[in-house]
Amino acid sequence: MSALRETSPVEELTARLAGRRALEGAAVAASRRAGEAGDWVDGASALLHANAGETALLAFLRAVDGGDGFGAAGTALADICRETNARMVLTAIEAWQRLGRPHWWATLTRLAREAPESFALVLNHAGTALAAGGEPGFTDFVAVGLKAGGADAARRRRFFALEDPLARRTLSRGVNDGFAANERRLATFLTALVGRVPFLRPFPTPPGRPPARRVSIADGVILFPDSFPGAPADTIDRLYRAAAAHAAAHRMFGASRWKLGSLKPLQVSLIGLMEDARVEALAMLRFPGLRRLWAPFHVARTEGGTAPALLARMARALFEPGFHDPHGFVVKARRLFDEADKTGPAVMRAIGGLIGNDLGQMRVQFNARDWVIEPAYRDDNLGLWDFEGEPQSSEAIELMIDAARVRQEEGDGRVEPAAAHERVGRARPAPAALEESIVLARYPEWDRAHGVERLDWTCVRAALPRTGDARRIDALLDGAPDLRRRVRRLARSARAGRLTRLRRQAEGHDLDVDALVEEAVRAATGETPDGRVYRASAPRLRDLATVVLMDVSESTREASVLEMERLAVSLLGDALDAAHDPVALLAFASDGRERVGLTRVKDFDEPFGPTARSRLAGLESGLSTRLGAALRHAGSELERRRAFRRLVLVMTDAEPSDIDVTDPLDLIEDAARAVTRLRDRGMDVLGVAMGEGAAHRAAGIFGRAGYVTVARPTELPRRFADLYFRLSRR
Amino acid sequence: MEHRRLRNGRGVLSMTRLAPKPSSAVEPFFIGFEPYYRPIGEEIDIYEAAYRERLPVMLKGPTGCGKTRFLEHMAWRLRRPLITVAASEDMTAADLVGRYLLLSGETVWRDGPLTVAVREGAICYIDEIVEARQDTTVAIHPLTDARRVLPLEKRNEQIAAHPDFQLVISYNPGYQSAVKDLKESTKQRFVAIDFGFPSAEVEAEIVARESGLDTDVARVLVLVAERSRNLRGHGLEEGASTRTLIHAARLARQGLSLKAAVESAVVLPLTDEEDLRGALREAIDACLP
Repeated sequence: MSALRETSPVEELTARLAGRRALEGAAVAASRRAGEAGDWVDGASALLHANAGETALLAFLRAVDGGDGFGAAGTALADICRETNARMVLTAIEAWQRLGRPHWWATLTRLAREAPESFALVLNHAGTALAAGGEPGFTDFVAVGLKAGGADAARRRRFFALEDPLARRTLSRGVNDGFAANERRLATFLTALVGRVPFLRPFPTPPGRPPARRVSIADGVILFPDSFPGAPADTIDRLYRAAAAHAAAHRMFGASRWKLGSLKPLQVSLIGLMEDARVEALAMLRFPGLRRLWAPFHVARTEGGTAPALLARMARALFEPGFHDPHGFVVKARRLFDEADKTGPAVMRAIGGLIGNDLGQMRVQFNARDWVIEPAYRDDNLGLWDFEGEPQSSEAIELMIDAARVRQEEGDGRVEPAAAHERVGRARPAPAALEESIVLARYPEWDRAHGVERLDWTCVRAALPRTGDARRIDALLDGAPDLRRRVRRLARSARAGRLTRLRRQAEGHDLDVDALVEEAVRAATGETPDGRVYRASAPRLRDLATVVLMDVSESTREASVLEMERLAVSLLGDALDAAHDPVALLAFASDGRERVGLTRVKDFDEPFGPTARSRLAGLESGLSTRLGAALRHAGSELERRRAFRRLVLVMTDAEPSDIDVTDPLDLIEDAARAVTRLRDRGMDVLGVAMGEGAAHRAAGIFGRAGYVTVARPTELPRRFADLYFRLSRR
Repeated sequence: MEHRRLRNGRGVLSMTRLAPKPSSAVEPFFIGFEPYYRPIGEEIDIYEAAYRERLPVMLKGPTGCGKTRFLEHMAWRLRRPLITVAASEDMTAADLVGRYLLLSGETVWRDGPLTVAVREGAICYIDEIVEARQDTTVAIHPLTDARRVLPLEKRNEQIAAHPDFQLVISYNPGYQSAVKDLKESTKQRFVAIDFGFPSAEVEAEIVARESGLDTDVARVLVLVAERSRNLRGHGLEEGASTRTLIHAARLARQGLSLKAAVESAVVLPLTDEEDLRGALREAIDACLP
């Protein structure tokens, strides 16, 4: 396009650069490289316009000279310069060259425009973001930060400085969202393999540290990194499985921990690899198929003399009998390993120490801080060591101890989930102000003193569900396999499709022999035959929609009523979901008549999946029990469902109360009236009275046949069975 | 003395010569050849003791672990005919006890399987008794205590059990639910023998013996079964039974690869849940050479 113009853009540019020799030279070099016209010319002009300054312009022109396709970045850099300053242009160019020339200019322009104050911070962490998720991961990281920070520059700064946990999560998630996607399947895989339900957790990333890159095992808990950066997407599931199987091998064949003693970091690493090879060898004796799982990850080749390369070569040689590595060190390691007694770990420690000395004498540099175990499925082996009371000899070992400590803290939190949960509960702000939340409906309430129903007395509002750790619910269910199985079976058998046999029918698929004989006898004795000699079957289709109301008021904190409710609802939700019965789970707690909060844990058509589970896990005791209003609302929701049978199941300690009610009988009578009204409208209302002493109160509300009591979790299945019996009897 | 000689003896024919000749009604219910059974504990001794005392016996255990085979073996050992009734929800007391039928214009009483066994001194085996409705189950009560009688209400008759008669039921505790369970009054009438899956080595021996497959391969199959049994209560209702293993082994003997045989005989019948199936398959793959 420029050929026809009197002066080409590049001539114009050089004219403007006249006198500044360094720039002139760079521009000439750039034009030689990238042509006399093109993006770079426009970019350079734009940078000039933006007053980017000589240094920035020079860096740009040199970058154009240094590689292809940079010219287009010029206009973006000019924008960045305008929004921030010339120094950022330099920083951006420098980072771009350092990080392998990512295509990130559009993202950076947006960042400069919307969050100029954070620009430098982002470039600081750009390497991590790119390593974790590539360019899409980086773009995502910036987008999440801009959204989370909103108009608040300080919040954006916190995010991009990685002080915000969300930022760390976003970074660690990367593109292969591995662990979360694989967790359940891995747990099942390990349960099948080992015979015990494993504890799997995502690896916690401490603030300011890069996300974990390997699995770690601590006190029976297997910590998985959220992703394996750099692993091809199609091998990621396999990698997780291989890692899980390796952890299982440690668990099945490993032994108690070693004292660190005076071992050097290199020896520690070698002993770890020896022990890895030992447990894997034993595991493969028992499960030969594991070799197929692990083998593809051993990719070390017989080259490279650095410590990491030699360690990886040794790992492969010990794993793969057919792998011939001539390196003297590897040969020796393998010979010692092959000759060793592999039934216990003791010999491994000795061999590891020995060949560690060899390697030390070869003066191979080993930096424990940067070393990451290969192949990638292996764990960091910190779980092999006992760091208690060890003299803290080297920095590397201190680092290891730190890492171990972080995990132990994490582990402690897990051992007492209830306690941890409570801590979290106190730290959280009070429930989102109910006044501002959406009004669902207003309901009347019974005024005992005056014997009237006060119209529109209560206001039911949607409370925002707090989310907890869905794995708690999974753990509850996994922890009670027998209960779970029985409740599931109960729900399924009570569901649909069980045919009832009808005898002495006028038509049917089968002759009823007894009726037939009687018929013939009747005919022979001169009586009138009635012809009903068939057997038939009628499907007793149970078309049942259920609302489970959970009382989460303050009083459910006592005697862990809420925990029992959580277990009961988990079992029921799991069972009804498996039986495809529509069920809605609602939790209620009130704060005066204007604020009856209703938390929707699960709606009818929602699966009882991770979202519902995390909401269930997030329920906390608090506020009061205005049972009547909650019942009326449950009834009105249920009424809209098309179902043959409708059931409201109320889990409560049967102690209605509220802050603005002085007469406790008021709310009890109101609840009883609400129950009666729902039954009048054709719904079944059954109470599950939780905790000791709830029985007599429940009778007052639900009627003598309308409730069951559960004092201990183990009673749940039997009580549920009672409930179903009651349901089918009516 | 005579009994002992028979047990070591030369098969059924010699016995039928020595024992009082059974009526033709139970003739077909004698077991002619020794059914293979590999004892895993004291069950044979317990059963023989119970039989000598004519105590009713309950065989408990998961599906496919050899309850029925055990009883066939015992019936053969004791030279008693074995009458098996598979209980179902459809089954009425009349199906068990008997009913009037019409024969050329006249009503004729026809004994049910239980009544035949009671009259002729057979072992009556009611399989999966929980499947029957509870009112049906009650019909066996008078047979299981000191009375040892069977009332036939429709005939207004009460028949005393033949001295050799014995009642055996099978009962799968994993199968029970709170709704469907044996009444306490039924349960406590029986002497129970608990069947679990045998130890790995014994199970491999059984699989090899029943399928004709090599014991080493059978061992792999047992390893596979253990993986699925580990998932019992964690997604699976039951793990793979010895019977499924034998099926897999027979498929393998027909030249199918072990992987394919296990897939068809073990994985696919067990579950339809995609994730669970995947994880099970992966764990099984670890067992296969």
